[in-house]
Amino acid sequence: MKVLEIKNVHKIYNSSEVKVHAVNDISLEFEKGEFAAIVGPSGSGKTTLLNMIGGLDKPTEGEILVDNTNLAGLKSSSLIDFRMRNIGFVFQSYNLIPVLTAKENVEFIMSLQKWNKKEKDKRTFELLKAVGLEDRVNSRPTKLSGGQQQRVAVARALASKPKFVLADEPTANLDSKSTETLLDIMEQLNREEGITFIFSTHDARVVKKARRVITVEDGKVISDENKN
Amino acid sequence: MNNLKLAWRNLWRNRRRTLITSASIFFAVFFALVMRSLQLGSYDHMYRNVIESYSGYMQVQHKDFWDEKIVDNSFAFDPVLEQQLLGDENIVATIPRFESFALASNGPKTKGVLVMGVDPVKENHLSDVLNKKVRYRLTSEAIEKIERDDRIPDKVKTLLPLFENSAYTNTGRLQLDLDIQDKEAPVLMPVIEEYCYFENGSIRMGEPGVWVGDKLSQYLELGIGDTIVLIGQGYHATTAAGKYEIKGIVKLPLPDLDNKIVYLPLDICQGLYNADNRLTSLSLAVDDNQDKAIGETMERISSMIPENQRVMEWKEMNEVTVSQMEADNKGGMIMLGILYLVIAFGVFGTVLMLTAERKREFGMVVAIGMQKRKLASIMTLEMMLVGLLGILAGALVATVIILYGLDHPLVFKGEMAKMFEDYGFEPKLAFWKIDTYYIWQLVIVGLMVLIALGYPLRKIFGMKVVNALRV
Amino acid sequence: MIWKTAWKNVWRNKVRSLVVIISITIGIFGGVFAVAVMNGAIEQRVDASLNEEIAHIHINDPGFRDNYDIQLTVEDPDRVLTMVRETPGVEAATPRMILTGMANTATKSAGVQILGIDPLSEKEVLQLYETTIPGTGGFFEQESRYNLAYIGHELAKELNIIRFRIDQAMLDSLAVRGVPDEVLDKLVPFSGKRFKSEKSFKKEVKGVLSMKEQHDYGMAIREEAWSFRKRSKMTLTFLDSEQMQTGAVFRIAGIYDIKNSMYEMSQVLVKKDDLAILAGLDNTAFHQLFIRLEDLETTEEIHSILAEKLPGLEVMHWQEIQPDLAMMTGMVQRFYAVFMVIILAALAFGIVNTMLMVVLERTKELGMLTAIGMNKKKVFNMIMLESVFLSLVGGVAGMIISQLLIGATSKNGINFASYAEGMEAMGYAAHIYPVISTSFFIIVAILIVITGILSSIYPAVKALKLDPAEALRTE
Repeated sequence: MKVLEIKNVHKIYNSSEVKVHAVNDISLEFEKGEFAAIVGPSGSGKTTLLNMIGGLDKPTEGEILVDNTNLAGLKSSSLIDFRMRNIGFVFQSYNLIPVLTAKENVEFIMSLQKWNKKEKDKRTFELLKAVGLEDRVNSRPTKLSGGQQQRVAVARALASKPKFVLADEPTANLDSKSTETLLDIMEQLNREEGITFIFSTHDARVVKKARRVITVEDGKVISDENKN
Repeated sequence: MNNLKLAWRNLWRNRRRTLITSASIFFAVFFALVMRSLQLGSYDHMYRNVIESYSGYMQVQHKDFWDEKIVDNSFAFDPVLEQQLLGDENIVATIPRFESFALASNGPKTKGVLVMGVDPVKENHLSDVLNKKVRYRLTSEAIEKIERDDRIPDKVKTLLPLFENSAYTNTGRLQLDLDIQDKEAPVLMPVIEEYCYFENGSIRMGEPGVWVGDKLSQYLELGIGDTIVLIGQGYHATTAAGKYEIKGIVKLPLPDLDNKIVYLPLDICQGLYNADNRLTSLSLAVDDNQDKAIGETMERISSMIPENQRVMEWKEMNEVTVSQMEADNKGGMIMLGILYLVIAFGVFGTVLMLTAERKREFGMVVAIGMQKRKLASIMTLEMMLVGLLGILAGALVATVIILYGLDHPLVFKGEMAKMFEDYGFEPKLAFWKIDTYYIWQLVIVGLMVLIALGYPLRKIFGMKVVNALRV
Repeated sequence: MIWKTAWKNVWRNKVRSLVVIISITIGIFGGVFAVAVMNGAIEQRVDASLNEEIAHIHINDPGFRDNYDIQLTVEDPDRVLTMVRETPGVEAATPRMILTGMANTATKSAGVQILGIDPLSEKEVLQLYETTIPGTGGFFEQESRYNLAYIGHELAKELNIIRFRIDQAMLDSLAVRGVPDEVLDKLVPFSGKRFKSEKSFKKEVKGVLSMKEQHDYGMAIREEAWSFRKRSKMTLTFLDSEQMQTGAVFRIAGIYDIKNSMYEMSQVLVKKDDLAILAGLDNTAFHQLFIRLEDLETTEEIHSILAEKLPGLEVMHWQEIQPDLAMMTGMVQRFYAVFMVIILAALAFGIVNTMLMVVLERTKELGMLTAIGMNKKKVFNMIMLESVFLSLVGGVAGMIISQLLIGATSKNGINFASYAEGMEAMGYAAHIYPVISTSFFIIVAILIVITGILSSIYPAVKALKLDPAEALRTE
């Protein structure tokens, strides 16, 4: 089942002096349950690609279909809504709302979708348990370590059962121990729950854990390996 | 996670900043409220001074009287009309008057005076004349006696020469002038009052006799029992001339009136001017003296009175005072405007900083699925809460002060007091009760918040998530 | 070094700094300009009073001011006059004979104070003569066998010496001035009418005109309707030196307009010689000597000199004569100082907030500076300087703008026409020329610096509390 289709996507920036072809005719497909990493140096276009996948940016040419819905066809507030239901995000940093506790951060999307309290609490606890933070339920981000924050972010990203989770350099600010823990959790969620993860990363450890590695350079896909 | 909860928590992210911003709003609201209360209180006080010592709220007059205040522009008193007027729902009493100009003399001394023919009983509905009778006077004999009395402290004795010959209608002012504290008063005042007691008399309808203002009596060197000569122009070009015994001395708060007022019983006055049964004005005492009620009453009265008469209200009769007050009022509002403007900029600056700081976070929440609308409402709530904090604090403190001030108006002493009196005003700063001006402050702060909100809201709605998320 | 850094720091975040600077500019500008207006009003009042009404020093018999007793003329008038005129610092002195009486015309009467003056010396002391309404006469120059009088505009209106009339000639003049026919037509029904008073004139004309017409043509109509019959007469009656009632007919030879209704209503000027004859006084006699000094600043000094030389007489200077004038100036200055302080306090909130932000933002940088050896005092000073610079930029901008505006309006003044009535009754002109003293500017500048310093204390203290190691660790 294809959760994500990227068809001949281009992204061209027209700045005053020079035209930048950040993404140059990329086509990719992702199935449910994939654990994929997109790698490439800075300026390779991978961040741009990820932004478009997440619906945060629009391709200049080409289509992006999430669960068979063309993102380009969605108007801004419907797009926001779509993202909420179908795509989970884990950013490099600043993932959490600082004034909310771990529990409240995780529930955030569910509150937006107006789940009832019982269901909300159940799922929140489940998710926090899954990331190993059931005892930090009421802590605010400032009281959590970097690694713990990222784990809460993962829990949050999964809250609405998205089609896939986009993680943009999630381990970049973490020490090796926290990276280890985070990756293990994500991998476990991927194997046991079948949740699709798409990473954009520099980190070799992530690449090692990934089962599919897509290399991007100068806006093109130069390799797409499926490990097994 | 409801919006209010998020907004409230956001306020406390940067506690200092929130507090300082609210404090600045508190500052402005506090000052605005206290200042407006003082202004409105002073105007009311000044208007009241004028209205109650002289013009009253409404007067029925001959239609030409106001432009030419001559005896010939008087009108005949009509008891039927009086009954009609008394029948009006807002009219409590009618106060007839006959006023004119005359020369008063005592031997070689002459002065132009204002002769007010009044009904002493009815007049009290209007100008509280009975309470203006002099009760105490610091005559030189009284001063001597006080100086010889050991019970009186020296600090009081040194003040005595300053107030020589001053007349007092009540003990309050006497106590204040002599700088006697409230706790000393029960002991000292009765003693002083005894020495200063002034035997005063009354005037009655049908009995010839006059009351004169304190300053006038001093100028003409006339006291109770002396005779005053009045000469003026009577009705239909007759001469008005008469001699009267001074029965009593009054002290009016307006020195400008005090040095020229002579009260006569109405019928005696009418006789003096050969204008029997004629009045120059019929003042109307009202129950509800708010502008709206007065306006409505005026309309009703206008239809009752005959063609050759008109009814005037106090604003028309005191145009000068009213326009002075208006000018002062506008001046005050401009100053407050400047203050609020300054605070508004401060608030705007805070909002600017705040928005810049949270750019990333805004991007993030919209990315994960929060509608921009929702974000905007949270921001709005945050700002309103800050504003509310400031308003409530400011209103609270201001109200405490105003409530205290209502019962304890600031009274001026010494030089300042003299200056106030020279301009015709009682020397005190009165407060005004809690009123619609409170709401204005709310509105202004509300506006301030709304305008400041424009910036972050624009940023939110114009935001490209991608850019916001950039490191 | 710190100075340069602090200055540069101000401009790091232009938008934020600008917001604070603009708020300071507005606050200072508002405050200073408001003070200038108030000041202008009062200065005008004081000037007018001194130059047109009361001069600088009065000399009279000690008991005179109690009751204005006609008998209490100054003893040895010639000697006193000469002696005063010879005193250095005295520019001019003019004698006045003062009586209280009544002024009557056919229709009206009013109580007045009659001032018998010597026109020549009077002109050297007071400039009242400059306020004569053109065309009403030359009281100060004319010689006449009739008794002449110089009265105030308000009194002239009160006594119906000035009347407002609408007739064909007046309507023609209005047409020439460009008043449209529809308006003239509305005035035609009043033709031939002489109004009883200015008030009734205004009322009736306003009654037939629309608001816009009143605004556009009101002034012109009033000017053209104003009429003064030359050789108008009035009677002045008073008690002479023997306490006998006496009086005479006086011709109006001039009307003055000084925008002080109270003064205009009561003060009637006549020639001392004429008055002396009527009052039965010697023509060298006078009740008060009005003195003008060369330099207003020397008032107290010369006052003491004269008081010493004339022990038997009462010598008073203008602050004693009109204490409310002197008090007014002082009181208003104090009041507005308070206002400025309040504005500055309001501004302080914004500055403190901004500086706190600045400190918080630069945690790492400050930590770094401390680590490389900048001592605490220098850090404190740097923050403080930044705050002071911020305040000064705004303050100077505010002062420049207000100075420009003051300069622009001081020539033509600001018109407070609609409040004219109230203000003229109190003796203030409705046209105000804002003015401000340099010392005020300097004080404001100092206050601004102090505000900057005080506002920076809290943030600077916070900056000092930063632990350099901790600061460097911040991610």
